[in-house]
Amino acid sequence: MLSIVKGIVELVRGMTITGKHLGKHAVTLQYPEEKWPMPERSRGIVVLLSDKETGALNCTACMLCMRACPTAAITIDAPRGEDKKRQLKVFQLDVGICCFCGLCEEACNFSAIKLATKYEFSTENKEDLVWDMHKLQEVGRDVPYEARPKKKPAPKPESQSQPPQTVNPVAAPESESSEDEKKEGEA
Amino acid sequence: MSAVRTEEFMVNMGPHHPSTHGVCRLLLTMDGEKVIKIEPYIGYLHRSIEKICENRTYHQCIPILDRFEYVTAMSCNYVFSLAAEKLAQIEVPERAEYLRVIMLELNRIASHLIFFGTTAMDLGALTPFLYALREREYIMDLFEMTCGQRLTYNYIRIGGVSRDIPAEFVPKCREAIKIIDQKVDEYMALLNGNPIWQKRTIGVGYLSPELAVAYGVSGPILRASGVDFDIRRDDPYSIYDRFDFEIPVRPNGDVFDRYMLRLDEIKQSVRIISQALDGLPEGEIKAKVPLKFKPPAGEVYSRIENSRGEMGVYILSDGTEKPVRVKTRGGSYNHLQVLPEFATDILIADLVAIFASFDIIMPEVDR
Repeated sequence: MLSIVKGIVELVRGMTITGKHLGKHAVTLQYPEEKWPMPERSRGIVVLLSDKETGALNCTACMLCMRACPTAAITIDAPRGEDKKRQLKVFQLDVGICCFCGLCEEACNFSAIKLATKYEFSTENKEDLVWDMHKLQEVGRDVPYEARPKKKPAPKPESQSQPPQTVNPVAAPESESSEDEKKEGEA
Repeated sequence: MSAVRTEEFMVNMGPHHPSTHGVCRLLLTMDGEKVIKIEPYIGYLHRSIEKICENRTYHQCIPILDRFEYVTAMSCNYVFSLAAEKLAQIEVPERAEYLRVIMLELNRIASHLIFFGTTAMDLGALTPFLYALREREYIMDLFEMTCGQRLTYNYIRIGGVSRDIPAEFVPKCREAIKIIDQKVDEYMALLNGNPIWQKRTIGVGYLSPELAVAYGVSGPILRASGVDFDIRRDDPYSIYDRFDFEIPVRPNGDVFDRYMLRLDEIKQSVRIISQALDGLPEGEIKAKVPLKFKPPAGEVYSRIENSRGEMGVYILSDGTEKPVRVKTRGGSYNHLQVLPEFATDILIADLVAIFASFDIIMPEVDR
């Protein structure tokens, strides 16, 4: 008998707590129709950023993002042109193996790659998950960003002495100090 | 009348059983309704994280280790960074230490909220699950505004943290922990006195302190068995020795105590976070660590108190960019080992309660 009374008391107590939610608004959203605003730092799809005036890619093909990537999702092919500068030929991102860690964005010195707040890029074919530079650029056209100063202050002398890494599929460059190798020393 | 012949039979529980929390497979030998033998089969979630880390630089290991224990990914970030910092003897800035403690404790609360919700759901109460995940959302929002992700944070780095907190973080965090602190009382009122809840938890799944120590059980399960051991206090790391908090200990070692102890821990974590927010200093958030981080040759083991117990990382370095060996230790592995000891006249329903109270997470077991 006592346990029945106790049970009823606890039932009322529990129902009171759940009953408090009765008149309240739902905390969930009907997703495809309504969406939460994404925070500014949200790490969504990887995009390539373009110059705001000329519309050209900011990427200088320095390959720092490729080296920073823990899952090797980024493939860059940029042979050196006649003026010894790298020409970006292939920039490929395999969204299927990208882990959205953001290390490529942190490695980039030229505001060229960013994890935008966009999501919703599902597809039915596995092949469509490999994005080339044109698609990455198109998706990143309207992504706001702050352009970092292009010229870095004079690098420290010891940072020049680092040899280029071997993961670079392109022929390893000689010791000419093009703009893109200056970052190596500093995180 | 001839005697009825009886025989044992096997029941396969999992790997996709809803109450095995992931992909744990338990092979049960049954005698009627009683479980007389439990054999856990593991390996369904093996991703060879340790081996992957051997082929990555130290910085790249951190997003990989996010997947090691994804319910508290901050602690995975932290324990690896701690080991690397010990190896290279890096001094971490004051502000970074405070931010790390705030994030670790927020993540502990988030993990315990998941525990609370899933345990109640396994035992037949659906409402707490919805409530717990609603409150967890506050913490997920805080993480998302700070580091951009809700689950795999990649936030705590070698030498500090990746980004400073945004301006609205501190007021929002205070509000969140205040709400959670109140809600924990509500959770207790919702379940503790309920006769069904009491019958299913009190006195079920007793784990003796001797057995717990013998199996290397750690964390809330160990403390619910009456062993007063917490790495945050007994082998302090980071700046935990500066905060005033208690280590809850409970004597009975049953499912109810393991559940209550985690709710008590949420309250203590709220205390730590509010103290850390009060004392948050200005300054640098990251020590200078080169992109080509090369720690000196040697070996190091670092351990922290995770929401599931002792989490550790062992690194063997040969002085190059990549570790030679990374060994991870997760509390759940030991907790799964002790599960067969419970196969003494329990029902499958009790096994579900015991398994839920252990808060085992399979990525930590399989790695």
